[in-house]
Amino acid sequence: MKKRLFHIAAVLGLIATAFSIPVAAQGEPVRVAEFLAECPISHRLADDPIVLPNLAGASHFHDFFGNHSTNARSTQQSLEGQTGNCNPAADISSYWVPTLYRNNTAIAPTGVTFYYLGEGVNNPGAIQPTPYGLKIVAGNAKATGDADSIARWSCLHAGHVNPSKNFVTCPAGTMLETYLDFPQCWDGRNLDSADHKSHMSYPVAGGCPSSHPVSVPKLRMVLRYPVNGSTAGLRLASGTGQTMHGDFFNVWPRAEMERRVRNCINVVIKCDHNGNHG
Amino acid sequence: MTVLLLAGLLSACQQAPPPSPPPPSPSSQNGYGATERAFVELAIATDEQALKLLDLADRPELEENRNVELAELRKLLDAPYVNNHAGHDMPGMPTDAEIQLASTSPDALEQFVHTHLTESLEVVRSAGSAITHPPTAEVVKLMERHRTAELAAG
Repeated sequence: MKKRLFHIAAVLGLIATAFSIPVAAQGEPVRVAEFLAECPISHRLADDPIVLPNLAGASHFHDFFGNHSTNARSTQQSLEGQTGNCNPAADISSYWVPTLYRNNTAIAPTGVTFYYLGEGVNNPGAIQPTPYGLKIVAGNAKATGDADSIARWSCLHAGHVNPSKNFVTCPAGTMLETYLDFPQCWDGRNLDSADHKSHMSYPVAGGCPSSHPVSVPKLRMVLRYPVNGSTAGLRLASGTGQTMHGDFFNVWPRAEMERRVRNCINVVIKCDHNGNHG
Repeated sequence: MTVLLLAGLLSACQQAPPPSPPPPSPSSQNGYGATERAFVELAIATDEQALKLLDLADRPELEENRNVELAELRKLLDAPYVNNHAGHDMPGMPTDAEIQLASTSPDALEQFVHTHLTESLEVVRSAGSAITHPPTAEVVKLMERHRTAELAAG
């Protein structure tokens, strides 16, 4: 069976070469700059170590993923050396989002994936490892409508449902999902800023602006909730679906982050959980 | 027991990492730092929203206390005030939906006023253990005194 597959792959490869079509045949790397971490919900707290540092119980509720120790008092020093629930286990970063409710019942996401991507800039070879201790907030918790929101809600296994910045009605048998892209250009100096945003920027025309010249992997958060049917009663702890936001506190061990950026992002190859490729 | 203790001490000595300089703290010692700024902005948002609820209740002393707190909190601001919590389900901060419901139901009004007091007291106590900047700590103490007395008065 394996031989037969290999044979087909070889033939496909020949055909692809003959027609100059890039094909990800068996055993060949996929030319997408990507590595990932999957981190289920770890805990839920009314804490926010970035927006309300040290103020335990003062925030709206968040679902925390990854590092098990994250709370209002978390710092780079408190997080390092702890354990988390990510695959790979090496990623002990903290990630958190506002809790989703149907009326007053909290609903935890059942699929949580953090992709690190080389897309968004024209030169992935120049992407640097995400700085250790970097804090990033993406999305707009204060959004009042579509115009000031970058949220994206859609349905898993129901591509015909148009994505929206607010909750969408997903058919039976499908799941509500949300995507959030984090800014990927760093100012090269600050791990955080007073508004928690101005040290980072989105790229402009395929490159990082001179104010934020350091290109880092683009973090894309994908959450899947066991929710379908009517959107009645759905709300985030921060309000409507448009207020979806995500927080990231990077404590990937430096060597693990550097190896993935070098082996997956810079060379544009899709890696597995362990940062390897076939 | 002694042997165990000694072994523990020895092992602790051997494993102790070399001392490293303390990291720069976002809340400089006794200064108006990130924690103070976050608390003041949160407390203003909470008190302003609470006033909309208290406007429906016959508790003028509570409105007076919130207004006194707001005046003190605004003096602490070191930058133009931005409401970072509008529309959020924050502890102690009545939501617009709750205020709407309270306007038609005296029972709901009583319950939401009580919840505002108990939850914001918890936030204020949390701040009390986290805030080192003396002028901010004074306002935190004032807010704790207000809420404790208001709850005692029913």
